[in-house]
Amino acid sequence: MAAVYFTQNVLGAFLLDEEGKRLAESLAPFKTNEIIDYLIDLEEGKVTQQAREVLEKAKSMGFNEVVVETIEDGKIASSLGLTPRVDVRASVISRFRERLQDLAVELGLCSSKDEFYTKLHEISLELSRRKLRKEAQKRDLLAIQAIRAIDDIDKTINLYVSRLREWYSIHFPELDELVKDHHDYARIVYELGDRENISYEKLKRLGFSEELSTKISEASRKSIGADLSDFDIEYIKTLAGIILDLYELRETLEGYIDAVMKEVSPNVTAIVGSKLGARLLSLAGSLENLAKLPASTIQVLGAEKALFRALRTGGKPPKHGVIFQYPAIHKSPRWQRGKIARALAAKLAIAAKIDFYTGRFVGDKLVKELQERIEEVKKLYAKPPAKKPEEVKPSKKGREKRR
Amino acid sequence: MSEVVAIKPHEKYYGVYVVELEDGSMRLATKNLVPGHRVYGERLFRYENVEYREWNMYRSKLAGALANGLSEQPIRESDSILYLGVATGTTASHISDIIGLKGRIYGVEFAPRVMREFVALADVRKNLYPILADARKPQLYRHVVELVDGVYADIAQPEQASVVADNADYFLKHNGYLLLAIKARSIDVTKEPSEVYRREIETLKNRGFEIVDVVHLEPYDKDHAMVYARFKR
Repeated sequence: MAAVYFTQNVLGAFLLDEEGKRLAESLAPFKTNEIIDYLIDLEEGKVTQQAREVLEKAKSMGFNEVVVETIEDGKIASSLGLTPRVDVRASVISRFRERLQDLAVELGLCSSKDEFYTKLHEISLELSRRKLRKEAQKRDLLAIQAIRAIDDIDKTINLYVSRLREWYSIHFPELDELVKDHHDYARIVYELGDRENISYEKLKRLGFSEELSTKISEASRKSIGADLSDFDIEYIKTLAGIILDLYELRETLEGYIDAVMKEVSPNVTAIVGSKLGARLLSLAGSLENLAKLPASTIQVLGAEKALFRALRTGGKPPKHGVIFQYPAIHKSPRWQRGKIARALAAKLAIAAKIDFYTGRFVGDKLVKELQERIEEVKKLYAKPPAKKPEEVKPSKKGREKRR
Repeated sequence: MSEVVAIKPHEKYYGVYVVELEDGSMRLATKNLVPGHRVYGERLFRYENVEYREWNMYRSKLAGALANGLSEQPIRESDSILYLGVATGTTASHISDIIGLKGRIYGVEFAPRVMREFVALADVRKNLYPILADARKPQLYRHVVELVDGVYADIAQPEQASVVADNADYFLKHNGYLLLAIKARSIDVTKEPSEVYRREIETLKNRGFEIVDVVHLEPYDKDHAMVYARFKR
């Protein structure tokens, strides 16, 4: 009797004849989150449902011996009552491996080869992250410290920039009004220093618009500020340099938080992004704490002051805490925000629990469900609710304030 | 730092560029796949609206091998490559530049600490596929790797040749290329390889590799050599 070959890969389990034709197959779930569980099972040498199906079929077709590539696959075959023969260089299987991407399209799992590779890239990233997470101990605390450092840096930048503006205004007071952006302001001071040195060309080279460059260079010629010596300006430039360094540090920290959060808490990150995710962890104290919070608490994290005031006075509780930063909340009209916040907090509660206890990736599903709910809210509550005349609302303004 | 005078494609090596600087010195470089992004603090050059990344011979053994005159640079655009011991992805990032977005590098690395950086890099470079696994156990990642055009290996292990051959059995195409960075103890690689070293090459030959070229990596890496071979199934 001719030999049959058994192999498993990212697409599923397959039974092949000597020509490499597929005799039987059972496909893996080709969705990022489910396939990762499947791949981890394969790696751990577990008998998957797919392998079982295919090998049962081999038996029912009358085969007793199967050729496999690895001892691991051999064990699976023998546990299901077949006699395995291990051939590491089985050319039938390697030729089959060569056609993996075409096969994915043929089986209708992807619409094109490119899509297959994009998916495979996603899968390999997620799989590595999942394995890294097992190694990651207390890395949530690192993300928390980093996000707090960013907040500190923001405060410091503000403090330094207001000092810089006052200091440099002795020399060139008009610039304060013209350049509102702190980063741009610090760059002009640091790169050009003395206002004599400021010209249209140099500003253009720093990337400012024609209009602004014209305005600034004109103002520098007519400035009413005091003339300063290089000796005096050097120290102002040093301060500006430190501010620019702080901006750079802030940016690298954001990148760092992004990397850590995707690893520590991929689902929360998928829903609200790494920065807001890290803020939530920071407010909860750790991923473990966040995972143990109910959705209602997550909803008002960061609005503790408003919440306790409401509880004390019996007024209206806040609708959202730090999750207000989620674009779909703060960009929506007022009367929709509470509903969206509730939906978001519920999804976050699920995400945090999965992140902490299993680490599976279900982010895309959660995001999809959340989007659907937001659409629904927007449709059902497109108009502001009619005001009820009997309800008297005392000083509503002060109570609604949060953060 | 001195300015760029000209950037030309390398006369001998595919996908590699030569940067001529104002002070007369020459650097190797690759076209940056992700303009604006540095991977390991290397210099970026802009020339005729294309961005290039300096390929440092002291940091990357492949660059060292090319600088020392390897007979050919076998990596082509849209190749798929299995990279054993990818570490943080310094060399892999240049290969990633060469193969472009249609190519793929399956980067195998066992140490979580360095894998973390590689995962972050793979997030930006879409042709890098991270695999956190032990290169000595290819059966554990056979499900996610296709049949590849080439294998690049930089694993400092005593049995490196047999580890590479095990991987080639599963994943390397017929006539696929192998670039193996190997720790050599000999003075002249081609004539008098030391015992340890000859054994490794012997293993490769016994396992179906045809050795094309071997170059020393002095002065960029001490006691290292690069083996370039083809696999016959």
